[in-house]
Amino acid sequence: MTIALLFLMVIGLMLIGVPIAVALGLSSILFFLMFSDASLAAVAQTLFSAFEGHYTLLAIPFFILASVFMSTGGVAHRIIRFAIAVVGSMRGGLAMASVFACMLFAALSGSSPATVVAIGSIVIAGMLQVGYTREFAAGVICNAGTLGILIPPSIVMVVYAAATDVSVGRMFLGGVIPGLLAGGMLMLAIYIVARWKNLPAQPWAGWGEIFAAARDAFWGLMLIVIILGGIYGGIFTPTEAAAVAAVYAFFIANFVYRDMGPFRRPGKGGVALIGRALSVFWHRDTKEALFEAGKLTVMLMFIIANALILKHVLTEERVPQMITEAMLSAGFGPIMFLIVVNLLLLIGGQFMEPSGLLIIVAPLVFPIAIALGIDPIHLGIIMVVNMEIGMITPPVGLNLFVTAGVAGMPMLSVVRAAAPWLLIMFLFLIIVTYVPSVSTWLPTMMMGPEIVTQ
Amino acid sequence: MTTENPSRWGRLIDEIEETSIAVCLGLMTLITFANVVARYLFNSNILWAIEATVFLFAWLVLMGASYGVKKHVHIGVDVIINLASPRWRHILALLSAAACVAFAVLLMIGSWEYWWPFVTKRAWLETDDIPMPGFLMFLADWVNEGEAWERLPRFIPYAALPLGMSLLTWRFLQLAWQVVTGRLDKLIATHEVEEELEKTVAELREDRS
Repeated sequence: MTIALLFLMVIGLMLIGVPIAVALGLSSILFFLMFSDASLAAVAQTLFSAFEGHYTLLAIPFFILASVFMSTGGVAHRIIRFAIAVVGSMRGGLAMASVFACMLFAALSGSSPATVVAIGSIVIAGMLQVGYTREFAAGVICNAGTLGILIPPSIVMVVYAAATDVSVGRMFLGGVIPGLLAGGMLMLAIYIVARWKNLPAQPWAGWGEIFAAARDAFWGLMLIVIILGGIYGGIFTPTEAAAVAAVYAFFIANFVYRDMGPFRRPGKGGVALIGRALSVFWHRDTKEALFEAGKLTVMLMFIIANALILKHVLTEERVPQMITEAMLSAGFGPIMFLIVVNLLLLIGGQFMEPSGLLIIVAPLVFPIAIALGIDPIHLGIIMVVNMEIGMITPPVGLNLFVTAGVAGMPMLSVVRAAAPWLLIMFLFLIIVTYVPSVSTWLPTMMMGPEIVTQ
Repeated sequence: MTTENPSRWGRLIDEIEETSIAVCLGLMTLITFANVVARYLFNSNILWAIEATVFLFAWLVLMGASYGVKKHVHIGVDVIINLASPRWRHILALLSAAACVAFAVLLMIGSWEYWWPFVTKRAWLETDDIPMPGFLMFLADWVNEGEAWERLPRFIPYAALPLGMSLLTWRFLQLAWQVVTGRLDKLIATHEVEEELEKTVAELREDRS
């Protein structure tokens, strides 16, 4: 009963406008003081252990940094050009290309709102020019942008892995096929709507353009090869892979694409070139990118660190065990359990930031899932897909806000525009929930069967 | 909603904080990257790389949290406060400011309580791998009865807690004062890319016109 009080406190504080991190932290501290004899010093220690005890979480700042370097306009433009060359000539081609571009960009970045800003700000204008309605364009981008957290690398997956001690590499692999499936379903739906509404197609640009565009986007797309190849080739840990990705993205943005840094504007060659190349380390653009990524890291990690305090309270009070026993004794089977998890996450996802919600919910439902014989990767992918849906449903859909800004539409219109596509995401959620092999086939094939040690 | 700091002093502090955040993240990336390079090119590990990166991470977030408060980057739910009348908005903002200050003060007390033994009773306790930089050795005379450390003593990285939480308290107090005097009516950002979005939207507007 006291635990219900804890959750009421969290929700109450959040609703009156307290930052999420503070709502989580303050509720946990007050709970500690009222119902347990733990000291404030122990709370502070828990806060510090968010960093000291979770090496996996260290991948988050590096993935954010890589994504900031890759978010400079040039990379998005190149990806979009490639996507249009490949699928643009079909009916509704530009909209399908937008989805495809979102999928590719999702493979460079671990965040959904970032994907919407990078791709949406370019393609929405393009779609309007060739005669799509603003609603159609916004609805497509809003939904396709959510793939950012499903297609690896994904910050939300890193958080799930850290919360449940599942391997990050496995989670990333688990997201590949669902990501392709979701993108494919969205594109198929666009194609059907395009046939029915007679939406325009782009002229076929020929194989030459596809190869030229692919070569141009190659350096950006190599990032996903480095991350996944590096992790599965056993070359580095996920955290190291993220750091290498950040350095690689820094190098590409400054020296190959020259979208930022000292080579953005042409200048003298010769010996001065070396000086210019070295100046990249203290160039204003470099500092700006590091600072932007640092700020996002601080915001996200402060939520996660405080969610870890709450998680500490819950484990201390043996809540996961209590819930497991209650559910098992009520005779819940895997199917019923997954429905409950979906409902819980869909409702929670309306109000909470995905990473913080995962840190709290994952340890609660993980032991039950294991007891019921549900694969941890499967559970993780279900959670991520729920977070995706949470991002495009009001009142707190992050992607809705961002799309509203990028498309220049009021929030409510975006909600309405996104609604039809939401049905496809729900269908996708049902498939992912009840067909485990969609998530588990690839990781099992590449890394052998999952061994649960709990 | 970003509050511009009009004074030169304020801008200087901003610059220092922003540079520290950038340098912290830059160092973390370089150290981790260098460790990979060392392993494959020189067949050896930088022994202290992981521990140092973890501590830098803690410093980045614990110290950075207060900067986030100052610049309103911490996200929250604004559905209710957007529906409320100005009068109620003010009341809700006062309540949330009080909650934030309470949070920061409690954590600040806890942090000092946790950290203090590490400078006094357990000043001899060292980190696992990080070597002791010579220029800090004078601290040995102050807290460790003159006895030198081989590796960095734990109280140095752990200082991020008391320092960060004290700074956090200070920033929340400032914010609370702005709420009390009616210059501010909400403490949160709505989503993580708010600023970036504003920039993009501004650029788009320019393109259209």
